[in-house]
Amino acid sequence: MAVRMSQTTPQVADTETVDESPHPPRVRIVLTAVAGADLEAALAVVRRQVYEPAPEVVIVGDDVDGVESVPSLEEAISSTDSSFDYLWLLHADARPRPDALAALIAESERNEASLAGSKLLKAGTMDELESVGGATDVFGEPYSGLDEGEIDLQQYDVVREVAFVQSASMLVRRDLAQGLKGLDPLLPPVAAGLDFSQRTRLAGGRVISVPSSEVYHQARCGERGRGWREQAGRLRAMVTAYSPLTLLWVLPYDFLVSIVDSLASLLLGQWKPMVRHVYSWAWNTYHLPSTIKQRRRLRPIRSEGDEELFRFHAKGSVRLRAVGEELTGRLLSLFDDDQALSRGSRRMWSAPGIWGAVVAAIIVFLGARGIVFGGMPNAGFSFPFEPPTLSLPRWFEGWNESGLGSAAAVHPGTGASGLFSLVWFGAEGAARTLTTLLLPVFGVVGMGRLGGRLGLRGPGRYLAGLVLIAGPGTAMLVERGSWMALCAASILPWAVRAAFVHPHEFGRSRLSHFGWAVLTGLLLAVFSPLLVLLPIVVVAVWRTLGGDRGSFLLALVVIVGGVAGVAFLMGDPGWLTDPTRGLGVVVDYLWPAMILVAAVAMLVTEGRLRLAALTGGVVSLAALAAGRLVSLPPGVEEAVFVSASLGAALVVAGALDAITRDVLRIAAAVGGVALVVASVLTMGNGRLGLPAGDVNERLSFATTLAEGSGSGRILLASTERSLIPGEARSGPGYWYRVLDGDGTTLDEVWLPEPEEGDEDLGTSLGEISSGADLRPGARLSSFAIDWVVLEGPPFILDDALTAQLDLVPLPLDPDARVYENLIAGPLAGTVDRPWEEDGLGFSGSPIDGRVPVAMNYDEGWSPDPAPSDWQLTVDGNEGSTVWSAPASITALSVAVLGLLVASMAMILLGRRRS
Amino acid sequence: MKYVAAVVMIVLAVAATVPSAPEAVQHDPPPATELPPISTCPLIVGSGRSTNIGILSSVNGQGRVSSFSSGASGSVEFRTGATGAVTIDAAEAGAVAFSGGLVEMPTATTAAGVVTIGESDRAAESCADIPTGQAFLSGGSTASGAGFDVQLLNPYAGEARVELTVTTDAGIESDDRFDAIRVPPLSTATVRMGEIIPGREEISVAVEVISGSALAVGRQTTEGRTALWRAVEPAQDWWLPIPQGGGTKQLLLATPTNTEVEYQIDHYGPEGFQEGLATGTLAARGSQRVGLADITEQTAGVRVISTGPLVPTLWMNTSASLALTTASPVDASAWLLPGAHSPPGGGGTAVILNTGIEDVTVDVITLRETALTRRFDLSADAVLEVDLVDADGYRVEASGPIVVLWTSQLGGDGTAAIGIPIQDG
Repeated sequence: MAVRMSQTTPQVADTETVDESPHPPRVRIVLTAVAGADLEAALAVVRRQVYEPAPEVVIVGDDVDGVESVPSLEEAISSTDSSFDYLWLLHADARPRPDALAALIAESERNEASLAGSKLLKAGTMDELESVGGATDVFGEPYSGLDEGEIDLQQYDVVREVAFVQSASMLVRRDLAQGLKGLDPLLPPVAAGLDFSQRTRLAGGRVISVPSSEVYHQARCGERGRGWREQAGRLRAMVTAYSPLTLLWVLPYDFLVSIVDSLASLLLGQWKPMVRHVYSWAWNTYHLPSTIKQRRRLRPIRSEGDEELFRFHAKGSVRLRAVGEELTGRLLSLFDDDQALSRGSRRMWSAPGIWGAVVAAIIVFLGARGIVFGGMPNAGFSFPFEPPTLSLPRWFEGWNESGLGSAAAVHPGTGASGLFSLVWFGAEGAARTLTTLLLPVFGVVGMGRLGGRLGLRGPGRYLAGLVLIAGPGTAMLVERGSWMALCAASILPWAVRAAFVHPHEFGRSRLSHFGWAVLTGLLLAVFSPLLVLLPIVVVAVWRTLGGDRGSFLLALVVIVGGVAGVAFLMGDPGWLTDPTRGLGVVVDYLWPAMILVAAVAMLVTEGRLRLAALTGGVVSLAALAAGRLVSLPPGVEEAVFVSASLGAALVVAGALDAITRDVLRIAAAVGGVALVVASVLTMGNGRLGLPAGDVNERLSFATTLAEGSGSGRILLASTERSLIPGEARSGPGYWYRVLDGDGTTLDEVWLPEPEEGDEDLGTSLGEISSGADLRPGARLSSFAIDWVVLEGPPFILDDALTAQLDLVPLPLDPDARVYENLIAGPLAGTVDRPWEEDGLGFSGSPIDGRVPVAMNYDEGWSPDPAPSDWQLTVDGNEGSTVWSAPASITALSVAVLGLLVASMAMILLGRRRS
Repeated sequence: MKYVAAVVMIVLAVAATVPSAPEAVQHDPPPATELPPISTCPLIVGSGRSTNIGILSSVNGQGRVSSFSSGASGSVEFRTGATGAVTIDAAEAGAVAFSGGLVEMPTATTAAGVVTIGESDRAAESCADIPTGQAFLSGGSTASGAGFDVQLLNPYAGEARVELTVTTDAGIESDDRFDAIRVPPLSTATVRMGEIIPGREEISVAVEVISGSALAVGRQTTEGRTALWRAVEPAQDWWLPIPQGGGTKQLLLATPTNTEVEYQIDHYGPEGFQEGLATGTLAARGSQRVGLADITEQTAGVRVISTGPLVPTLWMNTSASLALTTASPVDASAWLLPGAHSPPGGGGTAVILNTGIEDVTVDVITLRETALTRRFDLSADAVLEVDLVDADGYRVEASGPIVVLWTSQLGGDGTAAIGIPIQDG
């Protein structure tokens, strides 16, 4: 920079051009004071300009002895008499080279430009480029084409027409400046330059960048275009310049881009962009009247259409492109501990893990093709999310509506579903689909990262992710529709990884390790509470076999995350203790055979591979043996079989990490490949192994044919348990459960412990099934059962319902027998004045007296709850009823949220410290 | 340690592949079938006819009679009273024209029967549970302008579909109207054989319910005389008491099976077993009439034993009356005769056959405002005919197994109906 500052002679060509001019243009320099900038120094630099006739200087916004000053730029422009040809608008924090003005004049004259901008270099740097003019996107976001920290090697030194130049140093024709009334005083420098440039072009002028005019810019006038004011200014410039027709689509589009940019930035942990967008829109709303005034000013001199502006537009959104690049960069960096991606694409593709990750991710997406094209199945244990306005309060302290209702807390997955839906703007359907598509990829990545943490480097650790999400155990659970098991499997490797510490990180960022352990434990417990115990099991086996990276302490901290499942388990202990509620999963004997072959063959390998394979083999085979020998309750069954998949995945990760010509290694690899292939085959249905069908669609007649009292409930019964969605109760000779007539949602998958109403329903079904009850409809009406649906082969209830008087068979389903109960009572209220569901309670017309609610009685309801037989009655005078959770449930929910926030804080604090 | 791990894995793998996986969780066992105490009755009201529904019960309990023809027509509740007997006019239950009636009875030891009274004819039949299997109806005729209708009664909320296999002296009849007959919920459907297959001397109908549930009743109208009898499940062993005298009596044997059926008829008289009355062979889906004139100069009883399923029907015809009723496939020590009575100015009898090998004591209990019991001794294999009086019905109890049939006559009109056994009675 020093060398350049010493140069006083303009470049030859430019000087010659000026010399040839018979009447050199007169220039008035308008030097705008900038807070913090040395005005005297700026004046000194300006006075060193090599240009004749010597330019006159006027200062805007400050006073210096001996120099004319005016209060505003507008006044400076308007007070300039017609003897001046050009105005050089210069910031006081700009330090132009002595030949900068001459170069601007020469190129403007030569190119017949109306507005010329200097090349801005960052003052105090080794000629780092700040601006050489540039293009914008349609939203006015500048696109300079410069890399961060790019040094000026004169690579841009060609005069060219640009969309805009910055206002720090711009030469403008006097008449044009007066016509345009100068810069917009409300705008910061970059936005002001953009605005002025756009107006110049709309007025028919040319805007050029003159690289030979070099100006060092201290950037005291702004934050180099990154503050919210700049963003707001760009929006104002856009609104000022565009025609109404363009604004009609650009403004909503820009609003959408702002939202996406905000959310994507949040994913990157950056909250400022969202705040900037909010400020920007608020500021423009506030200044809308003055913006309209600006538009009016432009109208008389506008000679070009918006097409002129579009000429230099970059495609798409610069903002989204930038944030997308950052997201991609961060995401790809997950794939390899070596940070190969961040070091460049060539090295990225030579990283061993990448290919495994890419192949695994492609297979996962292929395995989910049916979900992409046909939507999520609603069958087994996989059902739609409730809207977040219901699911979040229901998880926090809501009434469990499954079956005949219960005060027992819902499965914690309900809260997670609400959170996912909230992130996707309340679109619970999209949230469910995207979660299902992305979590398995997350699981594959997690498996790779876990393998990396255990010392593996090959592509096998990512392919092992396929075994994790579709291998023995997980596949059997998912085959029955256990969406939660799929999610739990996807998070499990992250939780196990949190209990292992990389040797390079021993003693470092301990707080962060604890934070990760708690966070992954919480996420895991949300989907499968008992799985939080697995990390400590893995660590124990690993350590027993001689491993050194596992931390018992961190594994114990993962268990702390299990608090997310405590409320659910307290309300429904049978989920962990009652083996009669298990799904009866049986794993084919080929799976343990393949695992054994691959694991035992790894005995001869080097330490880290053998450790991973043996640990996985022991965990997996122990889980499979437990599942084979003992009847397990559903919660235990889920945890055991997902653990089996994780163990098998570890075996595969070791077996496929590096393949040699050794016979045993080849045997191990064959076993590993067989496991991967067998796992991939389970995803062959295109739904990641989830069962086909849409129970809600099949039973939608309940909603379609619903009358005043609502859709009520559906009693579904079959001798085949798999035909009952979610958990089923054991009935007299068949399985059955009560479903919500409006459609089953994820929170209703598990049935809470039977209460008095459930016992009554069981007794009633026993009598109906025996054929003794001639009027089953009347019997079921107090349970608000509007429909009875019998699935599968005919059974005893079919016989009983053949000879009865008040359930009307209807041909609504070719594969099931459907009976309508015309005398069913409403869920709440009376037959004449039914109450409707209102949030998590019911409301309707006030009724004088007691109002029955077809829910199991609980004293948490109000107003004035009282039992009537098994069901609840409330005082009907208020016209509504709601339920308040006991303090224990609320306290646990608060604890989970607190732990979530604390874990994230620990991660951030730990990182900052390290 | 690695070898220990290998051994552990092998052991675990073996455990994970043992063939005896834990038994799949089963649902609860199905409950024993416990059918509600109901009976379905054919009702005729209007056109000069009325129907009385006689209900007899071992308890003083409450019940309900609901009538239906094209949907529910009405219902009336009743109480059996101190004697356990009550008679209800079907019109009170809303019955019109040819209807069905569903009687919800207070206990399983309750029976119902109907007596249809016209200006010049009478008919009686016991109400019954709907057979779950194939039912069979024989004895119909459309010859000489006679009318034979098969009335299908569906008392339930679900639709029923019924197939009829009609066999006549011309062979198996084929007509679309016999196939997949739809009987809507709480409705009746009538198949008029006279319109479909006129001029047939002998008509037998096998009734197969494809879906739902329906009771088939035959209604024969010949020269102003009407008989009413219901389809029953075929069996291989039947008992039938027969009153003495009174016009032409025939035993009609018919089988719905596709094979020949050999049969043997034993004759019982007031003194006990007499002799073998007849033996023979029924052709496949065939029928035969056995004249009873020789044995009905006095009260008689017969037992029909066959090598295949058949249905014996008692066919009693005089110049003024026609009565048909099926035999009983079971014997029991207690019988209910709902509607059994002797009409004022007429007569009526109960015919009791001792099916056991020992002498029994028989109590014939008249059920009206107050119960009146008469006691009789009945020798083994003997048959007894007891006069009836005006009543709501009769209960017959014995110290051994018996079979009971009742008849009534008024002027030229006559009825006959087999009793209803009380199996746990």
